[in-house]
Amino acid sequence: MQTLERLAIAAALAAGLIGLSGCADTAGTVVTIDPLTGSTLIHEDNTRLSRRVQVRGINYDTVNGLQRAHITLGSTRHGRVRVDYRICWFDANGMEIDGDTKTYRALIIEGRDTVTVTGVANSPAGVTAKLRVRETSQSE
Amino acid sequence: MKSTLTALSALTFALLLAGCATTVQEVPLDRAAATTKLEPQDVRRTVEKMVESLLVAPGVREFVSDRRPVLDIEPMKNRSTQHIDMLSITDSVRMQLLRSGLFRFVDRSAAGTVGTDIARIDQENQLGLVDASKAVKAGQQTALDMYLTGTLSEIKNVAGRSVDQYYKFSMILKDLKTGEIVWADEKEIRKASTRPVFGM
Repeated sequence: MQTLERLAIAAALAAGLIGLSGCADTAGTVVTIDPLTGSTLIHEDNTRLSRRVQVRGINYDTVNGLQRAHITLGSTRHGRVRVDYRICWFDANGMEIDGDTKTYRALIIEGRDTVTVTGVANSPAGVTAKLRVRETSQSE
Repeated sequence: MKSTLTALSALTFALLLAGCATTVQEVPLDRAAATTKLEPQDVRRTVEKMVESLLVAPGVREFVSDRRPVLDIEPMKNRSTQHIDMLSITDSVRMQLLRSGLFRFVDRSAAGTVGTDIARIDQENQLGLVDASKAVKAGQQTALDMYLTGTLSEIKNVAGRSVDQYYKFSMILKDLKTGEIVWADEKEIRKASTRPVFGM
């Protein structure tokens, strides 16, 4: 009977572990930049990521009639941090422009270092930029 | 006790069966690197980076400030040891540049396009079905302003169980009139893998 109890506990533990790994956090940090109003909004959904990588600066300009956004990300860790980021663009009505063509790019930030990522609008209609940062482990 | 053992055996068997089943699922396009080979996400990132670089290049400014220059893109050359569909990469670059609305494109570099255009015009005119006054005449196509070329090269180093793979995409935009290089950029990708001591 004792063996059965041990078996049941082991099975419950295994199920718990499987359940936990299946519930990996897929949220990240989102930075919204609106040059029209000059407002920027930082939304952090992943506590672990927000502790490791922080948004240190946001800048934007216009080149060849296209909006360009620069976001500086800094690591708070002493070791290397790997994240993915993607910058999507939206028109004046808030509609996303060709979201499929904007991919997640791999970014390696060395310990205590800062890196500036840049995104250019797909077309002159692109006004608002949205940067999404996620941990590399979230990309499967 | 016997019934418990039977139940456990049945459960183990069911788990084993489930483990042997083939699973197919859709995965994100931008998944993490799985091999040192060139993967779809590498191509997507490279195309996006190259297009962004071209769109904001200072040399391009004078061409796009008051008009939409006409571009052609030559199929990118593959100088790596891998079989890679370079026409597909070329198409992606063209598609993203077209979507920006800053350029117009002709498609003369693609194999056989010039011949196809001429053959179509001749065929239309010779069939006798088309109104002669509305028929398309040869010699009216838009002239080219600039053209894009590109290459993919590779360096591979193998040291024991470690493989270090380096890829470089290079692209050049040339002004057809002056022959000047208006823009050039490159994107590098480096991947490393280590084979386990046991296994493949």
